[in-house]
This record gives sequence, structure tokens and C-alpha cells, in this order.
Amino acid sequence: MVDFALTDEQRSLQELARKFARTEMLPQAAACDKAGRFPEEIYRKGFELGLMNLNVPTEYGGSGLSVFDQCLIVEELARACGGMTTSIIANCLALEPILLGGTEEQRRRLLPPFCASYHLASFCLTEPGGGSDAGGLQTRATKDGDGYVVDGEKCFITNGPHASLYTVFATVDPTLRHRGITAFAIPRDSEGVVPGKDEEKMGHRASSTGTIRFEKVRVPADQRLGPEGEGFGLAMRTLDHTRTPIGALATGIAQAAIDYAAAYALKRHSFGKPIAEHQAIQLKLANMAQSIEAARLLTWRAASLIDGGQRGTLESSIAKCFASDAAMRVADEAVQIFGGYGYMRDYPVEKLLRDAKLTQIYEGANEIQRLVIARELLTRYA
Amino acid sequence: MEILVLVKAVPDPEARLRPNAAGTAPDLDGVKWVLAGYDESAVEQALLLREAVPDSHVRALAVGPAPRTEEVLRAALALGCDGATWVEPPADLAIDPLLAARALAAAGRRSPFQLVLVGKQAMDDEAGLVGPAVAEHLAVPDFGPVVDLRWDAAGGRFRFARAVEGGLERLEAPPPIVVALQQAWNDPRTAKLQNVLRSRRAPIEKVPWPEVAAALGDRRARSVRTAFRLPPPRSGAKMIEYSTPEEAAQKLVRALREEARTFP
Repeated sequence: MVDFALTDEQRSLQELARKFARTEMLPQAAACDKAGRFPEEIYRKGFELGLMNLNVPTEYGGSGLSVFDQCLIVEELARACGGMTTSIIANCLALEPILLGGTEEQRRRLLPPFCASYHLASFCLTEPGGGSDAGGLQTRATKDGDGYVVDGEKCFITNGPHASLYTVFATVDPTLRHRGITAFAIPRDSEGVVPGKDEEKMGHRASSTGTIRFEKVRVPADQRLGPEGEGFGLAMRTLDHTRTPIGALATGIAQAAIDYAAAYALKRHSFGKPIAEHQAIQLKLANMAQSIEAARLLTWRAASLIDGGQRGTLESSIAKCFASDAAMRVADEAVQIFGGYGYMRDYPVEKLLRDAKLTQIYEGANEIQRLVIARELLTRYA
Repeated sequence: MEILVLVKAVPDPEARLRPNAAGTAPDLDGVKWVLAGYDESAVEQALLLREAVPDSHVRALAVGPAPRTEEVLRAALALGCDGATWVEPPADLAIDPLLAARALAAAGRRSPFQLVLVGKQAMDDEAGLVGPAVAEHLAVPDFGPVVDLRWDAAGGRFRFARAVEGGLERLEAPPPIVVALQQAWNDPRTAKLQNVLRSRRAPIEKVPWPEVAAALGDRRARSVRTAFRLPPPRSGAKMIEYSTPEEAAQKLVRALREEARTFP
């Protein structure tokens, strides 16, 4: 029988995340959004509690959680603030290529510093010329003696301006397309690493996003993750693991939206009764609830398949794509239920709409997710 | 130093309680239970002392039904307590604060201790009886709510203060003692993820009920809750229309004086 019940351990993790979200993140969420402030003190507290390196095994000092348990935590955090959650879980994405592609020596050398004290790492794949077309990336890695020289520019890098280590995807030969891509772990203090300014964003404003320029940066061979030319596969396997928690993040935003909308509908009166008693509002709430329930279950299923050792590409793409579209619809309806107040920045729901939008774009745009879903689907019929 | 912390599960302060059908007690169906706030402060104080005094151990002790009592003991373990002891009374035995104190004292005296910490009162019944009654049964002095609790290793005694009108009263006492804690005097820590996971797997010592029953004799709960009602709903608010702050203040004072009769 399929059992959807959480274990006591999982409920404790959920409770821990919920408490942190409510007491530390939520009180600062609106102010950080307005000011575009990166609340490092909150991220440090999150690190102290063990919320930052969720996917790093305990032997390297991380939290060693399954993808499923990561999803439980991420959804709770995102109910308080999607932007802060993105910054808190960015280490998971950045360190995953080291976990999946690094040698044991590299894992022992590179991972523990992130678990011993507060440090941020950034995943550097997207470039100004393209994000979804990862095979066409332009950052060059030129062989130089026993190492490489990396030259190029990465953009939209989460936590980029604050990170101390970058996992960078560069090509040893652009004519090889995917087969030329190679991954490197590049410390920020390497000569030629130039982090740019924080970008002004529509949403996720408590998160930091920036450009990183690599100007002829010398990278020793022992910082290369996996063999030459296998970086593209490594990036894709990384995203297979981290895409599902983005579905959970979107679910958390949607859950926050319905929480606010339902509570407001019970309090707000029109035509002599609470608007929750009008069918027009009830139908909206019912549709929102269905989307959230489906999004959560798709995320849970993708996560448990991946935890069971499957690649889960199809399921994680479905979960991420559906949950982020659901978050967008649900946040949109929440604003509508709030009416004019929903459009005002003094109320919490317009932020959710702005935050939800990014979940359709990052970690693989939903168009790419749909291509992946179709490809995976069609191979089953071919 | 061996430190005992008495903890209790109370309904989440944010939970909306409603009376049961008979109107005799809150309807606790589906209510979330949490470690009582003052007890969290007591656990925090115990952990601070353990950090300050080498070779110290903190054991959380609770009496109450499953699963909520086990859950708060696990919460105490997750915060950092070294051990947890649980007294689970038979389902048909109603426990009031004085019976709880007898049961806790019986369990507490099974091993040596130098300090018993307790929240000054639970956030559900607000009785504040368990600490003093446990002290009585253990024949140990009780000092009520204290602040700034320290161990003076050279003098072999605790030093602490009590908040009195306009200041603090400094006291000292040799172990063992019972003291109570209240919120605002320390900032209880949040459990770390790894400790939460560890606490789920940590053993909880269960005191065999016959041992406790012997200490209770044939006693039954002396107090019974007879009714539980919510406060009456507030009547409507009156909004004051104004154009300047001065006008708002004048109209508010007039309304308070003439309509609400707040001032003579």
C-alpha cells in the first residue's frame, strides 16, 4: 500500500523548519523584499541550525537528508519567504556537483568547510548569452600546463556576490558542444574572479543574484570535477536532484497564498456576509487547494523515486513544472481574492505573485521542463 | 552536576481552543502539543549550567499520557538534554498538579541530583503548583522563580537572585535545591536539525508505574475542572474620524471620558 503519512522524524524536521520560518524569516520577509536586503543574519542562523547544507552527507558535516526530507523543509521555509529560501538552499545546488562528480579526496577537501562554518557556494552555469541552452555555453577552459585557465562570464548567479566558492561549467572546446563542457570548483579568492553587483529583481528580493566574471583564472587540475567533457552530464544529474526541491519551494509559496487568501475571505465582508460565503470565492479557493495538493504529491513522488535510486528526470520535471505553474495560478488568485488590497505592497500576497514567477524560470525554465517531459515520454513509446 | 528539568506538554498557545460538547473542558482533539514556554526557559537554564560546570548532565522528566508527553521529552532531548525520563500514568487516572508532583518526585528520587529546574507555571492551567510540591515531597528547599543562576564551585553552592519590587534579592544555597524559571530571563535556543534527528532515536527511560503508584498510595486527583468557557466576544469597535492628530486625540479622550467612562 502507498503510505502518504510522514514519519515522526519527518514531522520533527517539518516542525523545525516551520518554527524557523515563522520566528526568524517571516518577521523580516516584507522588509527585506521592500529594501531588496540580503538578510545574512538569518542565513547564518539557518546555517547554525543545519538548514543550509541539507544534501551534504553527515560524514562531511552536512545534514545528510534525503531529497524527500529536503522537500519537507524547503516547503516550510518557502511559506515564509521564497527569496530567503532560494538563498538558504543555494549551497545544496552548488555543492551537488562536488558530491556527484568529485573524487573522495575532493569531497573531503571541499565540502567540510561549508559545514563547519557559514560559507556560501554558487552554481555557475547560466551565461549572458543563454541559460536553457547549456550545451552552447561560451566560458572557456584552456589547458595550461597541469591546470586550466578559465575565462568567461556567468550571470543570474544565486548568492554569487556573497559566495566563497563557485562550481563553474566551462568548455574545453566549444565545437564539441555538450561534449566539451567540464566542471570546476573555483574559490572566489582566485586571481581573476570578479563578482559583479547585486541585480535588482522583481521578486526573491531577499536573495542575492549577480554576475561573476572569470578573467583568465588559473585553476589547478585538482579543482576539476569529473573528467574533461563530462560537465554537461554532471550539471544535468545535479539538476535532477535539485529540481524537485524547487517544486517544494513553489508549493510553499502557493500554500502561503492560500493561507492568506482563506483567512482574508473569512474576515472580509461584501453584500452583508464574509466573502468566503460567496460561491465565486469558494470556487477560487477550491481550485487553489487542488493545485497545491497535486503539486505537493507530485513533488513527494519525484523525491521518493530519486531517493529510491531512480534518476527521476521525468517525474522531477513534472513536479517542478506543475508546482511552479500552480504557485503562479494560486498566488494570482490570492491577489484577486484580496482585491485592491491584494495589489498593495502593505499586504503580503503581491509579493507571493512576484516570488512565484521566478519558480517558472529558474532551475530550468518551464519550457525546457516540458521538452524534457515530452522527450522522456516519447522514448517510452518509441 | 546532575540536573533535573521538569517539563510538561501544553496545547500550542497559537491553537484555537473550543469547549467540548459538555462545556466541561477544552476540546483537545487535533490540538498540537508543545513544550511549555517556561519549561523551555528551564531547559535553557539547565543547558547553560551544563556548559559552565564540567561533568554535568541534564535529564528531562515528565509525567503524562502518550504521545504528547513523549513528544515534549524528545523536544527536550533535541534542545540538548542528555537523558529523558517518562512517567506514564494509567489512562483512567486523572492527574492534577499535586498528583503530578508526587509522581515526579517519586521518579526524581530514583537517582541523585543537585538541582531541579521547573518552569514557574504551565501555560495551560497556570497553576504553578508542581515546583513547590515536588520540593516538598523531595524535602528540598524551593526558591520559586529565580534569575541569574550560577554555580559557585569554590563555595559549593548555587548563587542566584529573585526579582523583588524595585530590584533583585541575592541569595545562595547549597545543593540540592528546586528553582523555577520564567521567560524573558533567558533566550531559549532552537533545536538543531542533527539534534532533532538524534532525539528521535534516543532512548527514553520509562519509570515502571508500580514504583510511582506506591508513592501515590490511594490518592486521587483533588481538583476537577467543572466548566470551560471562552471569554464573551468583544462588542464592536468605534472608529474615530479625524483630519489632524490633535483632533484624533481630542475626540479619543472625549469618547473615553463621556462614552466609555474610562476616566471619572
